[in-house]
Amino acid sequence: MNYTLGIDVGSSFVKFALVDYGEQPEIVEVINEKIRKRNPAHVAERVVAELLERRRLSFDDLLYVASTGEGELITRKRGHFYSMTTHARGAWHYHPEIRSVADLGALFNRVISLEHGARVHNYMMTGQCASGSGQFLENISRYLGLTLDEIGPLSLESRNPAVTSGICAVLAETDVINMVSQGIPTPDIIKGIHLSIARRIVRLMRKLKIESPVALTGGMAQDVGLVAAMREEIGESGMDLEIFPSPNCEAAGAIGAALWGGYRHFKLLGVAA
Amino acid sequence: MIVYLGIDLGSTTSKAIILDPTGEIIGRGITNTRSDYNVAAEIARMEAEFNSRFSLLRRRVEADGGSPVEWARIFDLLDSRFHFLQYLSRHERLATAMTDSIKHDSSRADLAERLQAALQQTLEAIRTRFFDGQVNSTSQFFRDLFSATFMRMIDKFDRLTFDRLVSVYDRSINPVENQIISFDFAELTERSLELMPAETGIVWPLIRKYLREVAAISLDPTDYIGTGYGRQLLPFEEKHIKSEILCHALGAHDYFPETRTVLDIGGQDTKAIQVDEHGLVTSFQMNDRCAAGCGRYLGYIADEMSISVSELGPLAMAADHETNICSTCTVFAGAELREHLNLGERKENVLAGLHLAIVQRAFALLARSGGARNEFTFTGGVARNAAVVKYVSNMTRTNYGELTINLHPDSIFMGALGAAIFGLRRKGAHA
Repeated sequence: MNYTLGIDVGSSFVKFALVDYGEQPEIVEVINEKIRKRNPAHVAERVVAELLERRRLSFDDLLYVASTGEGELITRKRGHFYSMTTHARGAWHYHPEIRSVADLGALFNRVISLEHGARVHNYMMTGQCASGSGQFLENISRYLGLTLDEIGPLSLESRNPAVTSGICAVLAETDVINMVSQGIPTPDIIKGIHLSIARRIVRLMRKLKIESPVALTGGMAQDVGLVAAMREEIGESGMDLEIFPSPNCEAAGAIGAALWGGYRHFKLLGVAA
Repeated sequence: MIVYLGIDLGSTTSKAIILDPTGEIIGRGITNTRSDYNVAAEIARMEAEFNSRFSLLRRRVEADGGSPVEWARIFDLLDSRFHFLQYLSRHERLATAMTDSIKHDSSRADLAERLQAALQQTLEAIRTRFFDGQVNSTSQFFRDLFSATFMRMIDKFDRLTFDRLVSVYDRSINPVENQIISFDFAELTERSLELMPAETGIVWPLIRKYLREVAAISLDPTDYIGTGYGRQLLPFEEKHIKSEILCHALGAHDYFPETRTVLDIGGQDTKAIQVDEHGLVTSFQMNDRCAAGCGRYLGYIADEMSISVSELGPLAMAADHETNICSTCTVFAGAELREHLNLGERKENVLAGLHLAIVQRAFALLARSGGARNEFTFTGGVARNAAVVKYVSNMTRTNYGELTINLHPDSIFMGALGAAIFGLRRKGAHA
């Protein structure tokens, strides 16, 4: 077995992917662990130890341990990859036909165009404001007293989405409270928020002139309401893009890191896997 | 009796001031703003009314007192018990709502027993925590007290229990917070007296002597004015609404007639206001719709650290230097905070850096409004934070030289005070 491990440190989750890196790399196990204000390096250490024990492996059985995201903190690693490259690789693994990736993360949204398979050709990301990020969506759902997996289906029920402009991720609480007190139904509030997030991402897609098909990675890609809103916005913008959530979208960065780790390991050895 | 009421419905806190006909403040009330603005305004008003009754009660017992008594301490003790009893009745309602929420969540019936046990254990531990001193009318609200303690306590449970309990809390807090609970002043004061330390027993008869009389005084306002972020949503006629910029300026002018610049750092609005010698506004600037540079920034940071807002300032004051904070955005600054902590930086220093960052943002706004002029008055909820005050003083000196900087314990009430004065002036002119 040629095991490689990818660790993606995000702002609210640490994601892990154990890969058997052969001719046809196989994703053996994926773990998403919530940080809950703990030190991500400690979280990583504990989860890796448990993973190895469960698999009856020792640390030295891992050919390559790669980090990505804010993973510079991870101590026992061989290499660190940038998020753009790992998300691209993690999505491409499942769908080699994709030409672009949109990573909808907790703090940033990134749009990536690919060349020669999973190589990053170009990318753009959101800037100095968390409006429209995953954290923003998480805040909104908390203000509404909903869990993140409840908001997608509710959004799809909306008949008359609320109109929202780009709002501050923190002050959105008041905007949501205002909407609630005006009697706007919850599905319409959520759909309005989804559309405002979608608009930002689609704007990035347009600026970067990405090509279809597009895989969506990151935690927000699981949100069926957001994906539907993105399709609407893409339609509005006149682009012809097919978008779909990548399998294991939340862990795409960790999967990509493990895969690039395997690639690098064998390249350094001078042999193909 | 003739009284005037000013209500400042801020984005984070709602304040009420009651003035007597001479313009003296007899009552202050404050609560956190909640999704139902009418409830927030009504609770602030009720608080101010109770506070007024305590002032009137104190005037009477002091006049009748005879031997010298530490009335300030007696009334502080009484007030904290009065608020504790109010706290307790909301706590019980929330406890019921949360218990029911688990009972009715059929999606995870398998977990119900485990969740109930964890919840009851936590609620029991919180119930009497705030008995002495921590509940008072000016700095701590039910939601903050409860949620900070609750979150800290449930952190020890496994991940699933933790997540479900957070969601149970989120579902239950809003409906409970939006209930108006009526209290009978005389009865609640009686129950508060019973919780007083025995050594104060000597003054209870004197308090009881005037209690019924004071409880019966009508405090319906002769005129009232609403202001603040949510003023348009108050059920007030147009003539009872005034812009918060005007009210803040007038409130600050009332305390400090020589003031020419007012910087108000509120929950979601930061305002830099230039005023003339009559307390009228000559120019102003307000922040755009971004939490950086206003009080909500600090609120967010406090949530990130699972501490209450009132603990932030003292911690930041214990710093030996300010950690450099690169992010402007509040959410990014929160992530940066955790990175610094994970890298082993002292939390005091990181907090000092965050406090400095918010003051720098506010000063950019101040510069756009025309800078700080003598006398410079600093108001708003954030003016109670010692670290913010320190950086405001330092930056004022660096940028504008030696100015008189006015601070007042009532600074959070400036808007409500200005509103009440507008009411008083209008009726005064008619009389």
